[in-house]
Amino acid sequence: MNLEQFLSGAAGAGDLPVEELLRRSRKQFERMLKGMRRPEVAIGVVNSPLGDLLVALGARGIVLIHYLLGGDLESIIAKLRLTLDPVEDRHSVTGVGAEIRRYLDGHTDALRSRVDLALATTPFQKKVLGKLQEVPRGAVVSYRALGAAAGAPKGARAIGNVMHNNPVPIYVPCHRVIASGGGLGGYGGGLSRKLRLLRSEGFTLGNAAKALPVSVVWGHKDTKIYCRSGCPAVQRADSARIVFFADSAQAKTAGLRPCKVCRPAL
Amino acid sequence: MAPAKLLLPLPFEQIMRRHEGEIMRYLLRSSGNRADAADLFQETWLRAYCAYPRLDPGSNVRPWLYTIALNLCRNQARDGARRAAVIIADEEANPAAERIGKTPRAQVENDGYAAVRMRELISALPARQREALQLRYFAGLNYPEIAEVMKCSPQTARANVSQARRKLKSLW
Repeated sequence: MNLEQFLSGAAGAGDLPVEELLRRSRKQFERMLKGMRRPEVAIGVVNSPLGDLLVALGARGIVLIHYLLGGDLESIIAKLRLTLDPVEDRHSVTGVGAEIRRYLDGHTDALRSRVDLALATTPFQKKVLGKLQEVPRGAVVSYRALGAAAGAPKGARAIGNVMHNNPVPIYVPCHRVIASGGGLGGYGGGLSRKLRLLRSEGFTLGNAAKALPVSVVWGHKDTKIYCRSGCPAVQRADSARIVFFADSAQAKTAGLRPCKVCRPAL
Repeated sequence: MAPAKLLLPLPFEQIMRRHEGEIMRYLLRSSGNRADAADLFQETWLRAYCAYPRLDPGSNVRPWLYTIALNLCRNQARDGARRAAVIIADEEANPAAERIGKTPRAQVENDGYAAVRMRELISALPARQREALQLRYFAGLNYPEIAEVMKCSPQTARANVSQARRKLKSLW
């Protein structure tokens, strides 16, 4: 055997029998990887009335919904890859787009997919987002009130931060969080999308609205009483205990009774 | 409106299925024994898995994998040398150099140990020449790929390989 033969024999990669060794090594590798495997998610872009959305769907539910506003797709995927293994799969995510479309058309029970808050990393985030999921359709709470409910009565700003980093907007209703005084606050996908979502949930809001309309009623979590916007009784109450409802009917469904001072309709 | 095209890297599973065979062969050939190759294989893929999220989706996976494998081979050679130095401190400084040339060539050919002798010769090459040669012939990488793995220019890679070949030929 000369040099050329030896080297070119080595280059022909198929000759070395490695199947058995490979099989054993692969098994061992799988075992080693067990605890540190990144969960696999199907991702795709879906069209919705709220614009294009990047959706990531894992085995335990929706992991991420992201409003695609500019050319930030690459950076968001790069971030996603650090904790998850994304696989492009348009078909499995189209259902999410359909649900959102139906929801905006007024089907109140359209958002059926489960939500997986795997991207909410801190305990505080998990707690706040958990509390937020208890806010029903047709109601909104303030950053302050949500903070109080999650055990951070002085943490309105912190709540704003958690909302900003909400991994699954729409399904985890961060659009139902507003400023304590009734102002609308902001929204990651732009205020117009927040308006659109709240409108579909029964709030009468114009396109340029900056605050909740006077038609909303103010409910008190402890007394279970709801009032008109200007009622003196509600002005004395602690704003951290207030929930806003789109109208009296919504407040009644939530188990509240009308105030005897301001006598809201119904 | 058509949804935006996603620039996604291949799933890691697919990368592994595609390249595990060649990585194993490369490690077997350059380490020379199955136990070491199996260990290096685990380590290579584990590191690859951990680093995969930070790999740019557009970049070439193959040189990247070989970079990891080569670094691990270097570590292993270093640690192995350290261990050996502790155990047999009084043996000659470079046992590989000592052995070379001791087996007469005729006998090598007769006994069919050409491959063994070749391995000895290769392991006695200067590190960069040996690495370049192994990447070229054991892994089958082309010069731009070798350059990427060894962080040098393609010309340097080519020069390293050809010097290695010339040295082997003169010793053979």
